[in-house]
Amino acid sequence: MSGYLKHILIISVLIPIKLFSQDIIQNQYSYALSLYNSEQYYDAVTEFKRLLFFDGEKEYVYDANEYIGMSYKMGGKFSDAILYFAIAEMNAGNDEELFNSKIEIVRTNILRRTISHAIALLDSLQKDKRFTDKQWDIYYWKGWAYIFNDKWDDAAREFSKIDSSKTLMIFCKNVDQEQYSVSFANIISHFIPGAGQIYSGHYFSGFLSLGWNVLWGYLTINSFVNNRIFDGLVIGNLLWLRFYNGNLQNAVKYAEENNLGITNRALDYLQSGYRGIKP
Amino acid sequence: MKKLFFTILIFSSIIFSQEKSHLANDNLFSPTNIKRFADYLFCLKDYLRAANEYERILSLVQNDSIEFKIALSYLEMGNFSEASTRFNSIKKSSSFYKSAQAQSLKSVFQTGDIVQFRNQYLDINSNKAYLDSAGMASLYMFSFLLTEEPLPNEDEFIKTFPIAEKSKIKNFYDWKQDPLEKSPLKAAIFSAVIPGAGKIYANEYSDGIYAFIATLVAGYLAFDNFKAGHDFRGWIFCGLTAGFYAGNIYGSAAAVQIYNARIRFDFINELKAFLEDKNYFLQVFNFCN
Repeated sequence: MSGYLKHILIISVLIPIKLFSQDIIQNQYSYALSLYNSEQYYDAVTEFKRLLFFDGEKEYVYDANEYIGMSYKMGGKFSDAILYFAIAEMNAGNDEELFNSKIEIVRTNILRRTISHAIALLDSLQKDKRFTDKQWDIYYWKGWAYIFNDKWDDAAREFSKIDSSKTLMIFCKNVDQEQYSVSFANIISHFIPGAGQIYSGHYFSGFLSLGWNVLWGYLTINSFVNNRIFDGLVIGNLLWLRFYNGNLQNAVKYAEENNLGITNRALDYLQSGYRGIKP
Repeated sequence: MKKLFFTILIFSSIIFSQEKSHLANDNLFSPTNIKRFADYLFCLKDYLRAANEYERILSLVQNDSIEFKIALSYLEMGNFSEASTRFNSIKKSSSFYKSAQAQSLKSVFQTGDIVQFRNQYLDINSNKAYLDSAGMASLYMFSFLLTEEPLPNEDEFIKTFPIAEKSKIKNFYDWKQDPLEKSPLKAAIFSAVIPGAGKIYANEYSDGIYAFIATLVAGYLAFDNFKAGHDFRGWIFCGLTAGFYAGNIYGSAAAVQIYNARIRFDFINELKAFLEDKNYFLQVFNFCN
């Protein structure tokens, strides 16, 4: 009887010690999480790393890596974030965790503007049979990837596949329709100098360009008609071609500048005015 | 039998728990646990956090190895002036003192302030008892390759380096002595005699040929127009020829200056890569194995 008592005594001492150390780890997790929630991301990373180091049972290995990744992401350290999301992905305990960490990698790639990586990862998720019930999430993030890649039409197409994202779809369609066609501006400027600038709303520059081209074109042709070949070559090469080429470059430049302005305004709205989940 | 079972159970649970956790005691923020965590961060190359953790220990206990690791962390982060200050603060009585002096010198060297580096070296050298001599002497001598000062005598220069590095060092020495730079004046004269020749001298062959043809064609057109009585056009092409000719002379001299700058840039880059590879001739510290 006394032997049994002795063993029970030893076990009853050891079990609390183990439970106590688990308490410490749990407290550390709560502490790190509170730092994360109060947006102290540098300290949150430190404390989650401390948790990872002392968490012998590896109970928090997924969560800690996920939060480290998110903290780095919040701090704009996207490559570090992706590294820790990838570690979280390797330690995911179920499909839900695996999907979440992969989506975090996608979101960080979108922010990092490595869109091709994001889309490739979303394509692989789309083909993965474990995530057939997550198709809407995949379309959603594909839409965002296209937004950041300035492909508003493709983004609208992806959002149109999701019932709950009609607002985003309409928004992307509007942005796409608002944008100027750079190739159209370039092509019409080949036929009518200045037309590309006028198309993108730069009327003064467009008419000025048209005027210069008419003047130098007239003088060039007039020189050839009057057998002043040398004058025709000099005016044609040094003046007319220079203004004609400038007109083409300006047509493309103004259309691109306008599009950049439209994109920036749209992104600005999405950042401050859109209430849904963002990368 | 039961006794044996319980004994195995107890021992295995103790061993098991020790293997799986880095916890030395129940307080994650005890000096021992902070040090373990800081070492872990240091080996992860997360030097800023490692330095912060080491600082926490220093606020509790004085430890020269921790001071040394803090300084190393700053060095690894590229904060050379802070690293130098930290290395210099290590006391003479410490077993890390000699290494700290050497690392401090390396930190100053990496700031690019060669004058301060040499002063510090000479200061340390005046007290030979504390000198990690071979490495620091090599680094001191190497610094001459990075400045415009005249190099020391070749034998004296090369003998300070380890045997394995002597041939490479000799190459650097020769390169520094005779950097194969070209003369901008020569380039200008060449181009004045034959347009484009100066560019070819500066290894810009296509530019040289283009300049030769452009000057020749413009010159011919000027000559032809004067001959045909078109004086106005003749003068236009004459001006164009003069522009090409003068521009080519100036361009040749500039091309040689760019060529020389590239040579100096390559030389400095090679020196830096070599120094990094050899860890500045100093001892490599590996706290992570």
